[in-house]
Amino acid sequence: MEKTPIMQLINVTKVYKLESGDVVALDNVSFDVREGEFLAIMGASGSGKSTLLNQLGILDVPTSGELSIDGKNVAKLNDLERTHMRRDVIGYVFQKFYLIPLLTAYENVEYPLILKYKKRDKNKRASHILNETGIDETMAIHRPSQLSGGQQQRVAIARALVNEPKILLCDEPTGNLDKKTGTQIMDLLVELNKKGKTVILVTHDPSLTRYAHRTITLEDGRIANVS
Amino acid sequence: MFPDIFFELSLRSVRINFLRSILASIGIIIGVVAISAMGMLGTNLTLMVKDQLSSNANVLVVTTDVSKISGSGQNATLKATVSDNQVRQIKQVVGTNRVIPLHRTQTNIKIGADDGRAAIYGLNPDDVQYFLTINEGNNIRGTEDALVGATLAQNFNLGIGNRIKIGNTSAGAKDVTTVRVAGILAARGFSPDMMADSAIITSDSFFTNHFGNENEYNQVNIIVEDIDTMDSIIEAINKRMNRQTQTVSVEDSRSRLNSISQTFDTMTTFILAIGGISLVVAAVSIFNVMMMSVNDRIQEIGILRSIGTERAEIRRMFVYEAIILGIIGAGVGGFMSLIIGYTVVNVFVGNTKYFFLPASIAYVPYGMIIGILVCLFSGLYPAWKASNMDPIDALRSE
Repeated sequence: MEKTPIMQLINVTKVYKLESGDVVALDNVSFDVREGEFLAIMGASGSGKSTLLNQLGILDVPTSGELSIDGKNVAKLNDLERTHMRRDVIGYVFQKFYLIPLLTAYENVEYPLILKYKKRDKNKRASHILNETGIDETMAIHRPSQLSGGQQQRVAIARALVNEPKILLCDEPTGNLDKKTGTQIMDLLVELNKKGKTVILVTHDPSLTRYAHRTITLEDGRIANVS
Repeated sequence: MFPDIFFELSLRSVRINFLRSILASIGIIIGVVAISAMGMLGTNLTLMVKDQLSSNANVLVVTTDVSKISGSGQNATLKATVSDNQVRQIKQVVGTNRVIPLHRTQTNIKIGADDGRAAIYGLNPDDVQYFLTINEGNNIRGTEDALVGATLAQNFNLGIGNRIKIGNTSAGAKDVTTVRVAGILAARGFSPDMMADSAIITSDSFFTNHFGNENEYNQVNIIVEDIDTMDSIIEAINKRMNRQTQTVSVEDSRSRLNSISQTFDTMTTFILAIGGISLVVAAVSIFNVMMMSVNDRIQEIGILRSIGTERAEIRRMFVYEAIILGIIGAGVGGFMSLIIGYTVVNVFVGNTKYFFLPASIAYVPYGMIIGILVCLFSGLYPAWKASNMDPIDALRSE
């Protein structure tokens, strides 16, 4: 059975206006992301990968074309609505983990819950998610700087998951990790996908595409290949 | 753990950049201390002067502006005195209220080996009881008896029975005479009717014997029984004595009280403004620290925004940080204001009996609130700047 698209891109174009002239970073990109899918987006640097990632992460809006996420046209939302979409619909996993240095691992995971519910986590939901991603309570009291790269990425994944987003958007999640830890993180993502989470993986590493159901390859801001 | 995660983040940011935060807060501490201590000093001075003036508020002082030249040649002196005749007229006008004519001049004095200069008054010793308080000793009885003011007694270490040489005390002078200290007056501070604290008070006969001016007085004090009749007494004196030409002027200590109060209020405002300048400097340093905090945390702002933190929440985080700096500064400043203010008031006013009155002590919370508000306002632009960053640019910054 064909699953409903949770993301839909129709002729999405992004043009950066620079003094030296307009730069077309995305050129009429169209594709769907289906619920429960594991999608990889491949591309070399300069292919428009980061620009696309910013669109999918609702950090930016298309110059033209239509991007719908969870049934909403992103371009028509105001800043506050887009902020709430980032908080509730998308779980963002970054290459550099981007944990909040002032907060402990536990608080980093608790943070999105507080943003959403405006109160502290009394149901131990953050602890539960941290356990699922392989961080125990003794590690959870540490600041990010006291954790290894792999542990930080696990915390970051827990943070991305805590508000039960429909989409997990991963930007080179293994890029700052050694091979073994990278494999563990990828296994974790696969596991999450098997449990029903939609995963979008943006990477320049062709070896990671084997985890995905489908791979879209970008070149010069256009879709060069879908496999 | 605070319920608001943004307050927690702000608090931790202040803690991590402790030195920077404390240095910025020192500006606020100085500003709060300046405002509070200056305000308290001004208020204490005003309260003291008001108190002293209003304790003599029932006294009218009659003087004359009309100068007469008496004597001739080298001995000619310029005098502005109220004549015996005028005193009689005053007595007729004021009815049962007491009229006290006073002689007054300045003289050299010598006490033991110490030379000095002091005001000397001459009056009927029977009038002393109506407006002066003898703290120690007795009233003037003999012709050579004198009363001395509290400050004079203290400065020259005078006791009952001590002698004071009066007149031109340089070697070989003939007009030197000696008085004996019969009593020491209680301090009465700044009073327009008689500046007695640094003065010597003698009987009028002693005074006129040595300084002349018989039947001519430098001022006339009227002690009014019912303070509500003061205006009508002034009016009656003016009607009787100043009908054609201005011969005497009557000074009401209330009007002096008002003008002096106004002067002190202006002075208080002025020194408060000086304190305010230090808060402006503090505001600049808080602004600077807040901008540094925003610039240090650009990537963090990017992370917070990208995972769904609202602009208003980012703003709140930085406003909290500014307020925390303000509260630290205002708290320490408020505490130090009490100590420094108390010391300053003690040194410059001479006593601290007005220090804890609401009008004075209110400058502490007042200074603290201004300090916090200054921090809040200094933090608004940095907070606004942080909240308006583009999340993509902010994330990319290292």
